[in-house]
Amino acid sequence: MTLAAFIDRSRKDKEDWKYTDLNALLFSSFPRKRESIASDSEHKSQLPSNYSDCSADNRARLVFLNGVWQPTLSHFATVPSCILMGDLESGYELTLGEQTCLVAQPIELVFVTDNDAPHEIDLKFFIDIGANGRLTLLENHRASNAITTIETDISLRPHAKFVHGKIVQGGAHLATAKAHVATGGYYNNFSLLRGGMPIRNEIDVILEGEEAQAALNGVMLLRRAEHADTTTHLLHQAPQCASRQVYKTVLDGKSRGVFQGEITVAPDAQKSDGYQLSRALLLSDQAEMDAKPQLEIFADDVKCSHGSAIGCLDEDALFYLRSRGLDEASARALLIKAFVTETLEEIQIEEWRVLFRREIETWTDAQTAREKK
Amino acid sequence: MLSIRNLHASISNKEILKGIDLSIPSGQVHAVMGPNGSGKSTLSYVLAGRAGYDVTEGSVTFNDMDLLKLSTEERAAAGVFLAMQYPVEIPGVTNMMFLKTALNAIRKAHGESELDAMQMLKLLRSKAKDIGLSEEMLKRAVNVGFSGGEKKRNEVLQMAVLEPKLCILDETDSGLDIDALKIVADGVNALRSPDRSMIVITHYQRLLDYIAPDAVHVLAQGKIRKSGGAELARELEEKGYADYGCEAA
Repeated sequence: MTLAAFIDRSRKDKEDWKYTDLNALLFSSFPRKRESIASDSEHKSQLPSNYSDCSADNRARLVFLNGVWQPTLSHFATVPSCILMGDLESGYELTLGEQTCLVAQPIELVFVTDNDAPHEIDLKFFIDIGANGRLTLLENHRASNAITTIETDISLRPHAKFVHGKIVQGGAHLATAKAHVATGGYYNNFSLLRGGMPIRNEIDVILEGEEAQAALNGVMLLRRAEHADTTTHLLHQAPQCASRQVYKTVLDGKSRGVFQGEITVAPDAQKSDGYQLSRALLLSDQAEMDAKPQLEIFADDVKCSHGSAIGCLDEDALFYLRSRGLDEASARALLIKAFVTETLEEIQIEEWRVLFRREIETWTDAQTAREKK
Repeated sequence: MLSIRNLHASISNKEILKGIDLSIPSGQVHAVMGPNGSGKSTLSYVLAGRAGYDVTEGSVTFNDMDLLKLSTEERAAAGVFLAMQYPVEIPGVTNMMFLKTALNAIRKAHGESELDAMQMLKLLRSKAKDIGLSEEMLKRAVNVGFSGGEKKRNEVLQMAVLEPKLCILDETDSGLDIDALKIVADGVNALRSPDRSMIVITHYQRLLDYIAPDAVHVLAQGKIRKSGGAELARELEEKGYADYGCEAA
């Protein structure tokens, strides 16, 4: 879906786009800092630095430069190079056959841009995981000056399991991921959104078969005038499905965070179990959080709950920490990390938990450094 | 050690402390007793430096420093420790992490090297054992799901780890049954030393059966009304605070 298509949608479905306005993207000249990147080695320096230090050999890393897959820059480990097919134009396909398991070798998709990046990069992914297949995939979007749109279609066949992580480090990023989950399948999405000029991360999950499950979690870290929007639509279509969502947002400056979470339970989806929690922490008087949880339940035998809370740092806790010797900035940083930690516990892959924690610490440390100035 | 002169303090322009005079020499334990609303907790918060309490008059000198000029954390580094009446729960921060961060912050302020993970673990384990807290409690989030007794013991543990010069125990006995009270009192007594002073704030004489004070002060209506020895506490227990212009508590 191109930017134009996103904007078109946002104009048609005003309710769904109440808090995020894309028009600014169309008319403003998006800031494009041009930095010359010449040699191949410098391309590598654009890879997330925190990745090179823990680059275990068993991790496959597929690199996309300006949206174009670069097999020569990629590292396949034990993953067959034919795992990914297609091109920027027609979209990339990632297909996993029945019973195929790629959990031990998580695949990371790294998205970087350089001097030659177009104004807009429109990515499409088709991910199809066969029955009993297992895939672990991390999208790592480096901050870029291009507007990135990304549309991901996901099919999980019976009892397939997909752990789908995502880090967006800034820039304009518009994404929709739509996952169809068949009987006994499991879709797990974890996203860490930073920056945002703006970011819209839409996740649609359709639990199509009995006992299908979904777990959606995320953290948004925003400051200055950044804007990030997480919008989830969870459709319980079949009976006995379970879904769980935990989202945390930390906002400073004049930033704005949006969480819209819709759970729909179809008339036939008896014994559905849905849970949703969104919590936001405001660090500044000028930051804004808009949370819109929505439950639409058409079946009568279901367990569904949601919670949403927006608050500031607890003054009692701050005093407690300071009375034990922590300076104010460190006390605040500790409480911010603690606030986000609850979500990290939802991540099942230890290595990712470490990676996400480090990303979050980088953010809070920068925050602390600014406060100390 | 600590010298409080004519201390006046208000919360939102309402005067709570109306001229407190109190001196505590090194190594002594002083009890401050008083009815509800007499200003006991306000006194402890003013000494620890909590925001929202305005000192309008008077001075507090602590080891030749003007205590009121220091920030909360500077007071902690200088050796002031307030054991809270209601210890705060901090989800997401383990007790271990909390103690480690606090001790290293204070060591850093003293120009000492920070302890590494192993040294810290060893220290915390042994201190926790002394106060009867299991290692499992160190791994749990600060005060989250702790019973009343465990929370108070956790305060004493922090005190033992941070080794302050002035301990202020704000109603440490509230909400404790007799067994928990004994454990907490034992922990406090173990920390008594010639270079450490304590202010034990309490409503009841009961705690003073276990922590024997060198002096007892009666705080009522924002002022110290009477000072004396341990016998004053027993007298209060019998007669209540009626002599100090208060309703029987």
